[in-house]
Amino acid sequence: MNLTLFTVAGCVRCAIAKTFMAENGLAYEELDAIAEGRERFGQCYRAHRGAIFRGKEGIEFPVLVQGDEIRQGVAAALAWLCAGTGLDGYIGRNELSKGWVGGVHVSGGAPAAVDGLVAVLGLLKANGLKLQLDTDGRNPAVLQRLLEHGIGDRVVMDLKGPKPLYSALVGSPIESEDVHRSMRLVVRFPEFRFETTVAPVPGTGEGPERLRYLTPDEIGETALWLKEATGSHRQPYVLRAFDPQSSASGRFRSAAAPPPGSLVRHRTAARRHQVLSEIQSSLDASSGP
Amino acid sequence: MTYPTIFPTGATICDPGRCWNGYTVFQAKEVGALLIDMNGGEVQLWKQLHGMPNRILPGGHLMGSSGERSTAFGSQDGIDLIQVDWDGNIVWRFNQYEFIEDPGEEPQWMARQHHDYQREGSPVGYYAPGLEPLTDRGSTMVLSHKNLRNPAICDKPLLDDTIIEVNWEGEVVWEWVCSEHFEELGFREDARNLLFRNPNWLQSGGGAGDWMHINSMSLLGPNRWFDAGDRRFHPDNIIWCARESNITAVVDRQTGRIVWRLGPTYDDTPELRRLGWIIGQHHAHMIPRGLPGEGNVLIFDNGGWAGYGSPNPGAPTGFRNALRDHSRVLELDPTSLRVVWQYTPVEAGLPFPVDANRFYSPFVSSAQRLPNGNTLITEGSGGRIIEVTAGHEIVWEYISPYWGRMLKINMIYRAYRVPYEWVPQVERPQERAIERLDVARFRVPGASPGGPRRVVAVAGVLPYRADAALCVRTDVGDGPSKEASG
Repeated sequence: MNLTLFTVAGCVRCAIAKTFMAENGLAYEELDAIAEGRERFGQCYRAHRGAIFRGKEGIEFPVLVQGDEIRQGVAAALAWLCAGTGLDGYIGRNELSKGWVGGVHVSGGAPAAVDGLVAVLGLLKANGLKLQLDTDGRNPAVLQRLLEHGIGDRVVMDLKGPKPLYSALVGSPIESEDVHRSMRLVVRFPEFRFETTVAPVPGTGEGPERLRYLTPDEIGETALWLKEATGSHRQPYVLRAFDPQSSASGRFRSAAAPPPGSLVRHRTAARRHQVLSEIQSSLDASSGP
Repeated sequence: MTYPTIFPTGATICDPGRCWNGYTVFQAKEVGALLIDMNGGEVQLWKQLHGMPNRILPGGHLMGSSGERSTAFGSQDGIDLIQVDWDGNIVWRFNQYEFIEDPGEEPQWMARQHHDYQREGSPVGYYAPGLEPLTDRGSTMVLSHKNLRNPAICDKPLLDDTIIEVNWEGEVVWEWVCSEHFEELGFREDARNLLFRNPNWLQSGGGAGDWMHINSMSLLGPNRWFDAGDRRFHPDNIIWCARESNITAVVDRQTGRIVWRLGPTYDDTPELRRLGWIIGQHHAHMIPRGLPGEGNVLIFDNGGWAGYGSPNPGAPTGFRNALRDHSRVLELDPTSLRVVWQYTPVEAGLPFPVDANRFYSPFVSSAQRLPNGNTLITEGSGGRIIEVTAGHEIVWEYISPYWGRMLKINMIYRAYRVPYEWVPQVERPQERAIERLDVARFRVPGASPGGPRRVVAVAGVLPYRADAALCVRTDVGDGPSKEASG
């Protein structure tokens, strides 16, 4: 099936993808999405709105099209070209700019595909892009490989909650030891932070009116676990308010949003063990690196 | 204006029959928390106990701070907020707001408290019948600092003001961050433009913009406005004022939104124009229930220099563009903005404007309504505390004898009068009237007595006119309104 690469003039990330395709003898059609390819890209966009993300700074290029498969961004494009769907769990939507590539989900892919991930990310790194990885604690072996290869300029660990609730919060069984090991690895990267969303706890109550969120004590337990795993009470630890609208769960989407200021008690509990704990403000949430 | 080199300190006026007699507490500059009686007798000093401000609680307890963060890294950050008993033992302490790691300093938790706090039970922190602060339980509202960035205000780091609620166990359970409400503050474009460029830049700690400088914070407490259905004045809501922006505001405790505001500009409506520009104000609070004037807002309108706006000859960039060389104490009806009572240079008997700046404190200062209708005024920059009657007579005056060694002024941040019953450890003192010295005749040792040694008559000279010929007129201008000076 033919490959089409939508690019824009002067796009460094587009140049990386084109170089890769040329070096690997991959034939493709290149269209400038704001010049001669404008109409074709418009058609593509209207037909695949769900696959092409328009962020605060517009649409990220390149956009690679092969039949019905769409891959947006240089990381996703290279992952497709290297491994087809094999790295899909690892490479997601990038919402970073200014030299950074995000949307690299260490916990999301198949451990067996780690070599392909290392190859793709290594290529991006070699081309001067900075990589932000995220993890929820699963796949510590993958995180270890990336660390050993010097891949990953920043890691954001989504620390879901305390040990007893971790699997329920992730939505699949997970060994506490994996989370523990991931925490220890995260602090070895050049930049890192830990985040916990004060989220609803699955399996509690029936219906949104009986839904309960992680309690301050449970956040305190989480902060303590972080301290025990990393040996430090000074980790950058950020608490985030749950956004029902962005939840994948229909049940949680109908939950009432937590009231403003509701995380203050959680922060107080977290600070007993992590003194730099802070609440993510709307400004923090909207600003890039 | 002329300020004498030599003048008396301590109590200088005392008319016990017309005073609301009690103890007065204040932070004596670089000395500690000082409790004095009506004759200026120093009842007790809590040595080196800081306080911004100090407050006496029932039972002879005192609130203050054990110290201040290094000024190389912070500005007016109290390390903690503590309650001590009569003997100086710490019975309550809060410091766990932010973990501070200043270079070369021991890492530690700090409250970063500044300017104000309120213990549950008393909405404003001074005596009102039936509204006594708790001493062995309850929460405390604390005005604190937080460093942050907010590109909507400025591209530079900001020293922001926060209000937190701390429970008896020292846990922060509620927080309000001022910068998150920037769009509710009513800044015009000229002010926003200037704020972005100069948010009142301070050098300490690598620099930060002290853009608001909130300097008082209290609860509204029960009041007639809320009783009549005006939910802006819910008793739990918080009133604060900010000297750099000239804003006084009420925050809804539930939503955090600003529901009542005075400033930053005072030319938008006829009511505001009549009120006049409030500048660099301190201690804005609602007079608590049970006191004369309850429900009105009492403000020490310093004058001086403050505000952001368009350039003028006194403020070439528009920074601190509002200027005035005298102070006013205003008691306002918060619903109509009409002045109910005031104490300005006019009520002080000072010819306006030529002698107006003899009632002038361009920073610090406060006003406390007393149960008999008198008002205790701290004219702080000169270390002067006066008690004035509703008819504007000074019935008590005290000048602080404590000048700082580092900052060579005898300033008083804020003084409070408390009932004798709140300090049961000492026998109630007997106030003694202090006869007013005739300053026209008073001489210090070594000075010659007054009066000419020889008087000579000159033929043809005329008597003096009542209206002396000055270089400026005293019968015109935009001085304090006289409409409410009764």
